Amino acid sequence: MARKNKILDIEDIHTYYGESYVIQGLSLYVEEHEAVSILGRNGVGKTTTLRSVMGLTPPREGKIHIDGTQTTRWPAHKVSRMGVAYVPAERHIFPGLSVEENLLLAARPGRGKDAWDLEKVYRQFPILSDRRKQDGSTLSGGEQQMLAIGRALVSNPKIIILDEPSQGRSPLMVEMVTDVVRDFCVASGITLLVVEQNYRMALNVATRHYLMGTKGRIEGIATTSELREDPQIIQNHLAV
Amino acid sequence: MGGVSTAIDITLNSLVLGGVFLIVAIGLNIIYGLSRVMNLAHGSLYALGAYSGYTLVSTGLNFFVALLLAPLLVGVAGLLIERTVIAPMRSRSIVYTLILTYGLMFFIDGLIKYTWGNEPRFIDLPAFMRETLPILGTHYPVFRLMTLLITAVVMAGLMLFLSRTKTGMTLRASSTIPEMVSCLGVNMKYVHIGAFVLGSVLAGIAGIIAGPLTTIDPIMGHEMLISSFVVIVIGGLGSLRGAVIAALLIGAVQTLAEFFITDLAMVIVYMLMAIILAIKPRGILGEGKFE
Repeated sequence: MARKNKILDIEDIHTYYGESYVIQGLSLYVEEHEAVSILGRNGVGKTTTLRSVMGLTPPREGKIHIDGTQTTRWPAHKVSRMGVAYVPAERHIFPGLSVEENLLLAARPGRGKDAWDLEKVYRQFPILSDRRKQDGSTLSGGEQQMLAIGRALVSNPKIIILDEPSQGRSPLMVEMVTDVVRDFCVASGITLLVVEQNYRMALNVATRHYLMGTKGRIEGIATTSELREDPQIIQNHLAV
Repeated sequence: MGGVSTAIDITLNSLVLGGVFLIVAIGLNIIYGLSRVMNLAHGSLYALGAYSGYTLVSTGLNFFVALLLAPLLVGVAGLLIERTVIAPMRSRSIVYTLILTYGLMFFIDGLIKYTWGNEPRFIDLPAFMRETLPILGTHYPVFRLMTLLITAVVMAGLMLFLSRTKTGMTLRASSTIPEMVSCLGVNMKYVHIGAFVLGSVLAGIAGIIAGPLTTIDPIMGHEMLISSFVVIVIGGLGSLRGAVIAALLIGAVQTLAEFFITDLAMVIVYMLMAIILAIKPRGILGEGKFE
């Protein structure tokens, strides 16, 4: 069977926050058009993994490839230009900039009829269209999450890396964000890496899951159907 | 009539002085807001603008040409400073650039004294600008009116640039969450360079328009540095709107104080600053971002 193209390939990275040794040897990959999750409890190094990929907290050892290009320790702007869109858990909507300006800053022309532009974002997220002149930081938490995802989509990336989209959201909001990620990212074939502690969200959007334990160690890899058949795996993994 | 025309003179003088404070302070604020560098050499860049203007005009160049060229020269100086002194210290504590720009202030001042000497200089204005214009019942110097006009044009241009262009948007975003800006593909190195050059150009503009208002001497930059500090502290560090309010306020207070009690003018300005900070410790509109 021919292997698919790996959009993201992490090989044995070791990342530190100052002196604190946060990720002690992590390897994972995401293939083209695949939606993958990293499931793990708080503080196991999920966010650090994404920051390592972005070059915000570069790994000291190991290698990261994006679409075949070695990008280890590249600065964030170069990683971004490789086609990586990062949606941090804090969303980081720019205060003082309107919804439209937040989108404009990220917009990059895409190819094909499925390419995203501002008009498409407004069509798919009518709430953002209604608020396009409003200061982005005055939106509600859920709306800001939509804007953050819209901002990732208009850059027409090869891969979106999404940090805990369900964090601090009400169940209703989690459902809405899940729908958005599934309908616009996964269904349209955008490659996705999502980090979650909320396994329901992860199972609803991703097809393959890395179970991350302390210090970024991968304790298991499972498909969605395997996890649905044996809920005990997740129970054990996410239990404190 | 004497009282009314004096009041109008004082009002216009306040606006002229406030305008110069504003342009200097906004340059300082842009540099701080975008690269967290408190540029203590900013007043010296302002002085450099005045001296460059003086030299350009005294070589026979038209004043308005000098008005465009002098700020560009200061911008080039800013570029050199950013690349050689500021950029290598980027990843370190703010204290390093504080000390380095403090040293730079003396370096530029020494360079000015070496090049132009200690005696005051005067920019030779075109004849029509030395006239006065009857306005609102008083006779007001044409040059001062021009200064007001230039300040308004510079500020309007700056606001349009920041609000309407993509570069302006990038600068505003960078003053809030720089890390996210780089995640969108922007190389922050160029934001830092751009901010420093823009701030320097603004200092240069203020220098050449202030030149004819005051005497040009080697210490003119020191007073201006202090005044512009007062403006951004009162207005709120990083706030552009706050700086506008504070600059006009300080311009008015200083003009009024100089008219009535010359020796205490700066004392009154500092007292005002202390009072405002006691009430609003982060300044009038202090939020640490551009608006």
